[in-house]
Amino acid sequence: MKHLALFAAAIALLALAPVVLGGHGLSVMTLTLTNLVLAVGLNLVAGYCGQFSFAQAAFFGIGAYTTAIMSRDLGTGVWINLPAGIIIAGLFGLVLGVPALRVKGHFLAIVTIAFQTVVYLTLVQWTDFTGGQNGILVPGVGETSILGIIRFNVQSLDSYYWLTLALAAVAIVVAWRLVHSRLGREWIAVRDDETLAQAVGVNTTTTKLSAFVASAAFAGAAGALNAYTMRTAAPDDFTIFISSIILAIMILGGKGTFLGPIVGAFILTIIPESLGEFSRYKMLFFGVLLILTITFLPGGIMQLVRNARTRRA
Amino acid sequence: MTETETNMTRPVLEARGIVRRFGGITAVDGVDVTVGQGEIVGLIGPNGSGKSTMVNLLTGELAPDKGTIRFAGKDITGVAPYRRARLGIARSFQMLRMFTSMSVEDNMLTATHIHMKRGLLSSLLNLPSARAEEDEVRARARDLLAMFELEQFAGRPVTALSIGQQRMVELARGVLSGPKLFLLDEPAAGLAPPNVDRLIALIKRMRDEFGISILLIEHDMRVVRELCDRVVVLDSGELIAEGHPETVVNDPAVIEAYIGKGWSRRAQA
Repeated sequence: MKHLALFAAAIALLALAPVVLGGHGLSVMTLTLTNLVLAVGLNLVAGYCGQFSFAQAAFFGIGAYTTAIMSRDLGTGVWINLPAGIIIAGLFGLVLGVPALRVKGHFLAIVTIAFQTVVYLTLVQWTDFTGGQNGILVPGVGETSILGIIRFNVQSLDSYYWLTLALAAVAIVVAWRLVHSRLGREWIAVRDDETLAQAVGVNTTTTKLSAFVASAAFAGAAGALNAYTMRTAAPDDFTIFISSIILAIMILGGKGTFLGPIVGAFILTIIPESLGEFSRYKMLFFGVLLILTITFLPGGIMQLVRNARTRRA
Repeated sequence: MTETETNMTRPVLEARGIVRRFGGITAVDGVDVTVGQGEIVGLIGPNGSGKSTMVNLLTGELAPDKGTIRFAGKDITGVAPYRRARLGIARSFQMLRMFTSMSVEDNMLTATHIHMKRGLLSSLLNLPSARAEEDEVRARARDLLAMFELEQFAGRPVTALSIGQQRMVELARGVLSGPKLFLLDEPAAGLAPPNVDRLIALIKRMRDEFGISILLIEHDMRVVRELCDRVVVLDSGELIAEGHPETVVNDPAVIEAYIGKGWSRRAQA
């Protein structure tokens, strides 16, 4: 209950952001929340289940192009496109998960890089379907309603921010339930010791696949909504560099901890975007920070928090 | 037919003619092992005799080149390890294995997933029915931790416990999964003598109170003598003796396997 109250307070506080922040600040916050959903999702497969993945941006892209292509070809709205983005990204998560079952460690990392590259190249090359390098323009969410009851008009920057905040809040709740369910315990079991997991009756194949699917579904949701926010889906938003940033967010925050990727998303989105003139060097910043974190603080910021707590206790 | 074999009811485990080769080496060569209902069977032999290979064949981590394994009347020869666990085969490991990032209690709970009746969805949604089931399983885990004198450690990280205590967690976890057969791979390894006495008492209780049949791989002959109804001796992958522990340890072939030819002649003299 204490958790729930804190969570509600944090969301309420964040909902007030448009009151104090201007256009740029609000864009940074929207990006922060999008990165949060991506990192929380990645943490499910990489942090809890121990299956490293460099492909989070690919699923992010698959979600975005689902919105873009469905809006263009079928004229469907956000309440169709968002679930569709989740489902289609989840299915592609399964596509990556199956070969990933056969490899571990560095080899798994390479397989996920290959997947990421194939998705990116497909988005660039399949011009008729994806619009190639220019991508696809996406109409705004516009006037919509939830089940015809709560009507609202999503046009302003503020409303896109709120919509992203709502998605982040739902993503956090879903991730919490996943991690604290039987399935979450099985993910951790697979990460800690696969042989032992099998010996106590865990089907490690389906357990790993479920982590890949869940992780991809989170990215799909983020992508489907982000296409509306950006009003476009273009391949360069879904490169391996974006995957690396999401990975850095998770690792700096603390992989395998619940709060880690959430804290990481705020720090690693807001700081580089505040560098102003120097933001062109942000990949350098991420790279150096990632090396330092892995070397000196493998448990990330949450490790510092934990250390401080045990010292106090 | 030995005396004990005729006495037992339908065997829980029946491995027949098991062969397993690694390249040119035959690690297990046509071995039969049966474990009757409520029986404690010792599997002994010198290092490299094929005991651990045999355990891995029985749990499904390795597949036999020849032979069949029947468990509770079913042929399980090609069945995956996790399915064998679900059918009721628990095991402990020679090299201790733990879910190192979990608490003692969570280590226990992973072994209960196989028996949870509530669907995954109700677990995800944290429905009252799923919560009730989880509470019930937690209560059973606490009872078993008490039996193994570990209840005060339930919330501790499992790695904070001593190796001896972790061995006890391993046994408690196995019992919690409600197996018909428990394969114990050198449970006394690394235990201090007073703890070995406790271990012997606990293994007896596992059989007597929980009705678990046991296949015990062990080097400590005191444990074998005090617990086993019957002993199977392997040497270089072959079964060289079988019978009551006292008979088997005096068998010249067994003495020879353990300490070599010269010694066995002198021991007989």
